Amino acid sequence: MSARIGRRQFLLTSAGAVAASSLALDRAPAYAQKRELTFLSWNHFVPASDVELRKQAEAFSKQAGVTVRVDTIAHLQLPAKFAAEAAAQSGHDMIIANTSTGFLYENHLVDVGDVVEDLGKKYGGFYPFSKEAALMSSGWKAVPWFWISFPATYNTAHYKKAGLEVPKTWDELLKQGKVLKKQGNPVGIPISHCADANTTFWSVLWCYGGKVLEADGKTSAINSDKTAQVIEWYKELYKDAMDPEVLSWDDASNNRFMLSGKGSWIHNPISPYNAAIAKKMPIADDIDHHNSPGGPAGIHSGPPINSIGIWKFSKNADLAKEFIKFHFKKENFDAWIVASNAFNHPPLRNFADHPIWANNPKFKMLPKEAEYAHPRGWPAKTNAAVNLIEVNYALPDMVAKAVNGMPTKRAIAWAEDQIKLAVQGKLETKGKA
Amino acid sequence: MAVGQRALEATGFGRPGRLARAREWWEQEHVFGYGLIAPALLLVVCLVAYPFCMAIYFSLSDYWVGAPGEFVGLENFRQIFANEVFHRTVYNSFVFTSIAVVLKAVLGVWLAMLLFRPMRFKRLIRGAVLLPWVIPTALSTLAWWWMFDSLYSIVNWTGIRLGLIEAPGPNWLGVTEYAMTAVIAVNVWRGLPFFAIIVLAGLVSIPREYYEAAEVDGASSWGRFRHVTLPLLKPVLAVVILFSTIFTFADFNIVQVLTRGGPVNTTHLFATLAYQTGLVGGNIGQAAAISLFLFPMLAAVVFIQLRYIRRE
Repeated sequence: MSARIGRRQFLLTSAGAVAASSLALDRAPAYAQKRELTFLSWNHFVPASDVELRKQAEAFSKQAGVTVRVDTIAHLQLPAKFAAEAAAQSGHDMIIANTSTGFLYENHLVDVGDVVEDLGKKYGGFYPFSKEAALMSSGWKAVPWFWISFPATYNTAHYKKAGLEVPKTWDELLKQGKVLKKQGNPVGIPISHCADANTTFWSVLWCYGGKVLEADGKTSAINSDKTAQVIEWYKELYKDAMDPEVLSWDDASNNRFMLSGKGSWIHNPISPYNAAIAKKMPIADDIDHHNSPGGPAGIHSGPPINSIGIWKFSKNADLAKEFIKFHFKKENFDAWIVASNAFNHPPLRNFADHPIWANNPKFKMLPKEAEYAHPRGWPAKTNAAVNLIEVNYALPDMVAKAVNGMPTKRAIAWAEDQIKLAVQGKLETKGKA
Repeated sequence: MAVGQRALEATGFGRPGRLARAREWWEQEHVFGYGLIAPALLLVVCLVAYPFCMAIYFSLSDYWVGAPGEFVGLENFRQIFANEVFHRTVYNSFVFTSIAVVLKAVLGVWLAMLLFRPMRFKRLIRGAVLLPWVIPTALSTLAWWWMFDSLYSIVNWTGIRLGLIEAPGPNWLGVTEYAMTAVIAVNVWRGLPFFAIIVLAGLVSIPREYYEAAEVDGASSWGRFRHVTLPLLKPVLAVVILFSTIFTFADFNIVQVLTRGGPVNTTHLFATLAYQTGLVGGNIGQAAAISLFLFPMLAAVVFIQLRYIRRE
């Protein structure tokens, strides 16, 4: 090193000197700014949940003598924002990460194993699927935050009129759907470019014993009798139990379908019911929920799960961990669950017996959904290829092709091509299995 | 000499001061000219040339979000060529652009002729016509999306009430042909004012004498349009079609809001597919390769049209 003091070194030394002098004087220098911790999250589907989160951020700010800022944007804009922050190596300190985000940015996220272990010990451990969603080969890269149960929502009045009990299997749903459609109240599962279309497909496929990828995460497993069986099921359901509108649905369409009074059954989080309650719609009385149906291979579901990740470039990683622990204090987490009106499900077992579920007969079965849950890609681990398959809607598109008349075998072959293309490339360095 | 110099200094002229020299240098034609262009050039380099070069580099590399990759040659191009969804996107782009631009050109000239006529509230009407062009696309498309909603479509509701279509009406965003019709309709609705206003400017600049002469010669209104208006509008039309082709080819908002490429990728355009692959899917290299496809196609369009304009 040269004897000359470089600019960087000068800055460091002088900053140190200022810090030392301010410590010596026992007061902050007048120009020092409060440390700011920033959190990028989505616009929650139940806005009160974000209000509560900001309230907790403020409480933590006071306690720790810092400023915590929670920024929320539309969930569809998050991927672009993450890409920009990772490329620029600057931005927020903490981010909301769904399963694939965690794996895509594995190398850019701080190991949070200490926080996870701490929380797990305190609150009865994490559900296995939430662990699978955040534990990567390089360690815990995110703290599982909340999952969104994906049960069945049905209209009790329509079911009563048809003299039916709720379906326990997808096959039963098909039989009931035929009756219900004749009654003028079809069932609805989106077969389109939307997230719900993916979620339900994974669920049905798993229940019939099918899979998209082998456990190695690289080999396509879509071409099987099980997939063919699922597609035949979809074709019949589409023809005899649903309206063609499911081909154009987005994530809110099934909610509207239910709230309009037309629909009898959808596979969806509890948002239609919550919306009906919030808007004081009389149909709220008729809406109820039951557990996701099963199939020959048991009950399986793929509820969305979100975690909190901390960017490696963040200078506030320790502070961020403190904030996460603060948010996970029982009283805080409970308040946040209440604010979301039972929408936010805890990944920790001991939080799941909250009275908001236990005391409401329409919500009672919701925590049980965790027992059937897997992250997307299962039995493979989520990776960049699974993410591509999802965002390209290869699975719902396969179904859409088949219900529009393409022979089942050809539709599967098309999807297999798409899966092989997604698996290509160097997955080893991009969220490896 | 010395006296002359002093005299000059006293009058304030020809002082060989630094400022004056700089000014003299600046006012030379070649310096001044380039000086004026420089800011614009800097912007183009930073905002167009640099991203373009980066896109070419990305398209040749195995670049995933958060993981800069190595050089892979034409591998990304090989992969997208092997992908049926990409083939479909190329097809969609041509169908979408050609139909939308033709409709905009025909309807745009028609609308311009209507606006050209003397009428009451001329300014108000001309202003109102521009509205679709002025409102942010994402917002207006949301209104269209609602109009095409499968359950609450006002288009279908009106059609059924008027007895024009049978209940339940077309599934606008769920069937290939209807979905393409819907995205084209919205694109035409939005792009029409641009056409009409520029063509209107062209119409205003045509001297009245030509029409008078044509009338004297007994030309019908169609004849006047065919032999006077259209030939004189050609240069304006060529420019506006050029712009419109570029805008339409590169459209993103309308498809993203209305269909997100569905049903089964039958409305995907280059921009939406690239967004889906790169920013949402994380495969930046391949997304760059997809979006680069716009370049040779648009370059060809620009080349042909500019040659045509020059010949005119």
